[in-house]
Amino acid sequence: MKINTWFGVLEINRTGEVMESELFSKDIQELALHSLGLRENIVNLMPAKFDMKAAALECKFVVSPSEYYSLLHEVTLKAAKLQLSGALTPDQRIIHAVEALNDINENINSLSERLSEWYGVYFPESGLGGEALAIFVAYYGSPKNLGSENLLYSKTINSMGAKLEAADELLLKGFAESVYSLYERKRQIEAYIEDSMGSISPNLKLIAGSILGARLISIAGSLEKLASFPSSTIQVIGASKALFKHLRARAPSPKHGIIYSHHLLNTAPWWVRGKIARALAGKLSLAARLDYYSGEKDPSLVEKLETKVRLIRASNPKPPQRLQVNETKTKKRKR
Amino acid sequence: MPKVNKLYDGIYEIVKDKKQLATRNIDCGKVVYGEKLISLEDVEYRIWDPHRSKLGAMILKKFNIPIKEDFKILYLGAASGTTVSHISDIVSGGAVYAIEFAPRSMRDLIGLASRRRNIYPILADARKTDSYAHLVEPVDLIFQDVAQPNQVEIATRNAARFLKRAGYVLLSIKSRSIDTVVNPKKIFANELRKLEQTLEPKFEILCVKDLMPYHEDHLGVMAKLKN
Repeated sequence: MKINTWFGVLEINRTGEVMESELFSKDIQELALHSLGLRENIVNLMPAKFDMKAAALECKFVVSPSEYYSLLHEVTLKAAKLQLSGALTPDQRIIHAVEALNDINENINSLSERLSEWYGVYFPESGLGGEALAIFVAYYGSPKNLGSENLLYSKTINSMGAKLEAADELLLKGFAESVYSLYERKRQIEAYIEDSMGSISPNLKLIAGSILGARLISIAGSLEKLASFPSSTIQVIGASKALFKHLRARAPSPKHGIIYSHHLLNTAPWWVRGKIARALAGKLSLAARLDYYSGEKDPSLVEKLETKVRLIRASNPKPPQRLQVNETKTKKRKR
Repeated sequence: MPKVNKLYDGIYEIVKDKKQLATRNIDCGKVVYGEKLISLEDVEYRIWDPHRSKLGAMILKKFNIPIKEDFKILYLGAASGTTVSHISDIVSGGAVYAIEFAPRSMRDLIGLASRRRNIYPILADARKTDSYAHLVEPVDLIFQDVAQPNQVEIATRNAARFLKRAGYVLLSIKSRSIDTVVNPKKIFANELRKLEQTLEPKFEILCVKDLMPYHEDHLGVMAKLKN
């Protein structure tokens, strides 16, 4: 029978002796490429527990076991390196970008807060926060530098802020510049995600928006995995803590995970959110599948979703009647 | 002055205030995952943290580890190579075929394998034995730490293909990756039954212990191929 090994194609008889052999050259790169090819295209599989090293010695591919091992070491190393360098897919780029975005958001929040605390000592009346404050401090530094034409000038006159020394001003200005540059970086990453979601996942972008879509891909691990999830899983992505609490103990099931940030959900009244989350998750899973398997844009998906949501909201105009207090109590005890 | 006791071939215990598991470092001066190095009588030992390695925990749980210096080992689920590095210390004259599926972990593993000549890194899915059959020779021992729902089946499939006669299988079964809700004891009993009742290959189960206090909800299993 014919078998494929990493060092060549062998013809062996029933007892495992090598009858004929067609050996590859000892070039590491070539051997590694052969090995990767064999992974994709599995033919002429060797019998279980076939002693390849003995065969390699028998057909004189190598002269000693140590040569066999050192060659195999180089080949597996090279093959793994080749696989890694070819392993980056477009959805992984998006995943890295969206995770960087999450980190930046976290840092922006805490640094902006720090800046407003810190600068508040010198100019508490400014009424600015977030990016506006960062720009203000980076540009003006001390409130004394405001010209009389500035809208905030009147507030500096009777300010209860402390005097800002030159050294502190320098420090604060630099700090504010860094905070501002984070805001810029955030916009740059968002633009990148917006752009690449349009090309790898147009339907998901249409329904979820690019950032939410990217977050879904990121938590699922890849677009392929997201496409293989049932919609009930997509509905609670990001609520794993609540979900497992529900599965283990008697906690209520989560209605929505990160899809809560979708405008159809967070603007809806509480009593229809579960229903809308279900409808939205269903369409999201359809969108992910379309993106992964066909890649064609289907605008009808959004229309269907919006009609569905309108229907849900129309048929549930009022919050459900809450159960009587004593009734709920007995019910709880029963459970 | 610390004292060294030999526990098994290539596996030592360093006694200094407390007992610590260690292997002889074959890559002198280099640290793999932040472990301590201790030099005694011109030999450098690497401390082996049982909290980070299922095999380390098994040794401390008194599994009678059969590894010899010239063993060929198939390691399924090599991850970043924490345990692999210690096995590579132990089988200094043998080979470790390290199968790992995640590209991110493979990055670290490649770094390790390029300094240690007895590690053969293979980026492949342990469920698909055919995809690496052309690289792996018959082995003396299979160690599996893959945290997959069907991990027993993965182990038996690999054993049928690659394990020598009377070879060993060491498994770390993680109940949380099989079912998060069911009681771990039930899961373990079920998985053991699966291992015992496989028709081909047949296993003799040598040792079963949970890995507490080093790893929660993990069961260590050592079995030997019967035929």
